[in-house]
Amino acid sequence: MSYYLLLSALLFAIGLYGVLSRRTAILIFMSIELMLNAANLALVAFARGSGNLEGQAMALVVIALAAAEVAVGLGIIVAVFRARSSTSVDDLAELRG
Amino acid sequence: MSAFDLIAGVLLVASALAAVTLKNAVHAGLALVGNFLVLAMVYFALEAQFLGWIQIIVYAGAVMVLFLFVIMLLYDAKADVGVDRLRWMRPVGAALAAVFFLALAYAFSGVGPVNPLADVKLAGGLPGPLGKLLYGLWLYIVLLIAVLLFVATVSAVVLVQPQTRKARVKPQVSERDRELEEVGK
Repeated sequence: MSYYLLLSALLFAIGLYGVLSRRTAILIFMSIELMLNAANLALVAFARGSGNLEGQAMALVVIALAAAEVAVGLGIIVAVFRARSSTSVDDLAELRG
Repeated sequence: MSAFDLIAGVLLVASALAAVTLKNAVHAGLALVGNFLVLAMVYFALEAQFLGWIQIIVYAGAVMVLFLFVIMLLYDAKADVGVDRLRWMRPVGAALAAVFFLALAYAFSGVGPVNPLADVKLAGGLPGPLGKLLYGLWLYIVLLIAVLLFVATVSAVVLVQPQTRKARVKPQVSERDRELEEVGK
């Protein structure tokens, strides 16, 4: 069962690399989806390993959360594109901390 | 480890790598759809049948179609945008991801089967047993998710609303303004 856990760790690392290296907001979002799915795979593998259904219920919660996140995130991307005609995260550097 | 595990692992890693490296955003999205579909097959194999179908319907269906719609709506089908201001970010990101993978693998290395003697009672992960859990112990979490989805829907609609038009000026008011202007001359 630890094979799928390792696989989920690898998928999460690939998604992390995508978030750090991509420069378009939409592609960064896709990498975040990849990371959420890696977490789901780990939850399902844990559920299978321990014979407990709660892992799968948690994965369902994560899927619903990802759907809400995508709705709001893509709404923000569309609104930013209307204001700036660009979705490159480098063009959104006015807000400095 | 069966042949299915190996093939699924190779397909998952290959499609994930394609999704984070391809230059064309539509191609990357399609690679991500492939990743989600293989992941659904893995769910079926891990006795999570309901979750597998939800993965296909919600992720590979609704979410990715939304992504592709937005990519095509914004003509944003390319990953290269202008000059790369953080050129060193790519190797640093790869190194950070590798370190993170090693840390996760180390954390997972201690996890074995939790109680190997108890027979697995997942019942295939069918909607029946899962629903008993969701509408019993997890009821308030399901309600909170309902609120979250409602708020997300409303905020998405508000965010993409076109600019609100200015209130229309009454004809009498515009007439009076015109007359005042003429008097002012």
